[in-house]
Amino acid sequence: MSSTGDARPFDLLAPTPEHALLQGTLREFVAREVEPQANEHDRSERFNHALFRRAGELGLLGVTLPEEYGGAGLDAVAAVQVCEALSTSDPGFALSVLAHSILFAHNVSVNGSELQRKHVLPRAASGEWIGGLCMTEPEVGTDVLALRTTAKRDGDVYRITGRKTFITNGGVDEKTLGDCFIVYAATEPERSEGGERARRRASSEPKAISSFLVEKGMPGFSLGQKWKDKAGMRASFTAELVFDDVPVPAENRMGEEGEGTLHMMRNLEIERLTLAAMSLGIAQRSVQVMVDYANDRKAFGKPIREFGQIQRYVAESFAEWRSARTFVYDVARRIDLHGSGQRLDADATKLVATQMAKRAADAAMQVLGGYGYMGEYVVSRLWRDAKLLEIGGGTLEAHHKNISRELARNPSMLRD
Amino acid sequence: MKIMVCIKQVPHQDARLDVNGAGTWIQEENIKFEINPYDQNALEAALQLKDKEAGTEVVVVSIGPERVTQSLRTALGMGADRAVHVKDGAADGSDSLGTAKILAAVAKAESPDLIFAGFMSDDGNLAATGPMLATLLGIPHTTTAVSFQKNGAIQVERELEGGALEVVELNTPCLVTTQTGMNQVRYASLKGIMAAKKKPIDVKTVADLGLAGQVGADAAKIKIEKLYTPPKGQGAEILSGSVDEVVGKLVGKIKELGLL
Ligand SMILES: Cc1cc2nc3c(=O)[nH]c(=O)nc-3n(C[C@H](O)[C@H](O)[C@H](O)COP(=O)(O)OP(=O)(O)OC[C@H]3O[C@@H](n4cnc5c(N)ncnc54)[C@H](O)[C@@H]3O)c2cc1C
Repeated sequence: MSSTGDARPFDLLAPTPEHALLQGTLREFVAREVEPQANEHDRSERFNHALFRRAGELGLLGVTLPEEYGGAGLDAVAAVQVCEALSTSDPGFALSVLAHSILFAHNVSVNGSELQRKHVLPRAASGEWIGGLCMTEPEVGTDVLALRTTAKRDGDVYRITGRKTFITNGGVDEKTLGDCFIVYAATEPERSEGGERARRRASSEPKAISSFLVEKGMPGFSLGQKWKDKAGMRASFTAELVFDDVPVPAENRMGEEGEGTLHMMRNLEIERLTLAAMSLGIAQRSVQVMVDYANDRKAFGKPIREFGQIQRYVAESFAEWRSARTFVYDVARRIDLHGSGQRLDADATKLVATQMAKRAADAAMQVLGGYGYMGEYVVSRLWRDAKLLEIGGGTLEAHHKNISRELARNPSMLRD
Repeated sequence: MKIMVCIKQVPHQDARLDVNGAGTWIQEENIKFEINPYDQNALEAALQLKDKEAGTEVVVVSIGPERVTQSLRTALGMGADRAVHVKDGAADGSDSLGTAKILAAVAKAESPDLIFAGFMSDDGNLAATGPMLATLLGIPHTTTAVSFQKNGAIQVERELEGGALEVVELNTPCLVTTQTGMNQVRYASLKGIMAAKKKPIDVKTVADLGLAGQVGADAAKIKIEKLYTPPKGQGAEILSGSVDEVVGKLVGKIKELGLL
């Protein structure tokens, strides 16, 4: 080793022995247990609850949760590994795992009280409970601060009324609600008088948003529309959740009143990063499939790999996948799960990786020709799944907006 | 009960293998390694016994450079209790006997009731180390186990030619080499992975084991002279047609060459 140090042994994809072991476990788990069920659950649009529990048994639902609550206490790199690996085979299942472990459990871990963490995290880590995050409403998505669901203080409870839609894990099947959800709702500042309230409501001024833990079984909390016939991610269950004057105990409020926006912000980096990681898995599989096919398939007397246009699909997809992968893992390495500071890069990873994955899946279909269009060959499923990542958890346009704003505020990002 | 499992790290089954510059071994830089598949089954057999019998200790032993730590950690993550890593350049180039001597020295210090090893390694394919180790230790052994039971004594079904099975019973201490496919190898859960962090890997040198000068390349009785890919055969002729036609052509060829 030279005196300047040798950076070659450092493995960005598995920086510690624990990451390397996790990589091995994921590889085996995906090959033996995820892959055999993936096509079938996409076709039947069913969430595989048994597989979810099995992932819990292996510890894959709690990688970032503290060890004292049944998690593994690992970092963003480990969370990326899980979402990436599952998505090489079953992005729909991966989305359910992500919504549960990152949008829900990790959020509670960072923003919840000691009591709430103790109540929720062990059940979430083991897979006994399945949870989700309720941000989007029928009339409000990107513009989340304009949400309409309300939480009104009434003695020891808050009464929550409103509707949330497109909620991943909202149900586990047609009849069964998920177990526990973080719900963002507008709370009125207690000091405000009637006149003030009316003025606020009428103006476009942001409301005070608070976060609540709402559990299955609370009166007035029910499963609304079950979204069927989604373009992709069919192995995850997407539903509307209805809150009809649901009395939620005040101790289920996370943090203080009005801290909801802060909670959202704190969780954004890891959410975007893991969604970007899903794109990596989709692209990796797409490249594998197209390379195998291009080597085997013959046309005009030679493997189609020898045609320049096919080479372009293969090489461009490969190079783009590798670049995005390096970017995602590098940001993962730098993210502090209990702090912030990688906002700009987290947005950028999702912006770049999601579009890359869609192109890679599309290229794979093109390389496979007619077979690419058939379900059996997997890539058409990945292509449908890839599209969601340009919408869910922040649309491309939202990332454009955030990135441009951050760069204007903080041009030093461009200088080192 | 104490079980010792011998594991070797070998190039991953998917790794692309090229001969090194000196033409004596494969080029090992930048390839992935894994636990020898036969040894994975050996480890699984040991862990299944541990699951059944409380108080069983599983010690994994491996010889090799720093990278071998990764395989030992994998074994610890899967549930082994301790690891011994013989990490010493002086062990490099050992033949099967050298390897068996090193493992025997470790076994003497550990005095296990049972030793598991893979039937052979995926790279060397010699199938010699296990039996040599048992011989050096003076304990009974059997090879190519496809199933394993312990009810007091050890009962092993072993694979013979042509799909026949033989049942062997051994008293402990003994050594069993395992065939692939004997069991479904588990993977490390995250709990196992995190627990492995705290499990000890005991690093030893050849001198620590009292074997200075007795193992390694200089002591080896078998040396690899040359490793190469055979040149592509020339003059091969592929016969085509229906089965009858091909057989007819083949017989014609054989007659033509005066081989009949
Ligand atoms: C399968 C699936 C699962 C989902 N899971 C969840 C979940 O678990 N929890 C949850 O809360 N939500 C979930 N969502 C909702 C998802 O996060 C939203 O769909 C997304 O945030 C976009 O919101 P919207 O659909 O209301 O679109 P809108 O926000 O109405 O956007 C419509 C279009 O307008 C554009 N647009 C909006 N504002 C601007 C602007 N300022 N500048 C430029 N363009 C703009 C958007 O980019 C988009 O192109 C899920 C969605 C799907 C499809």
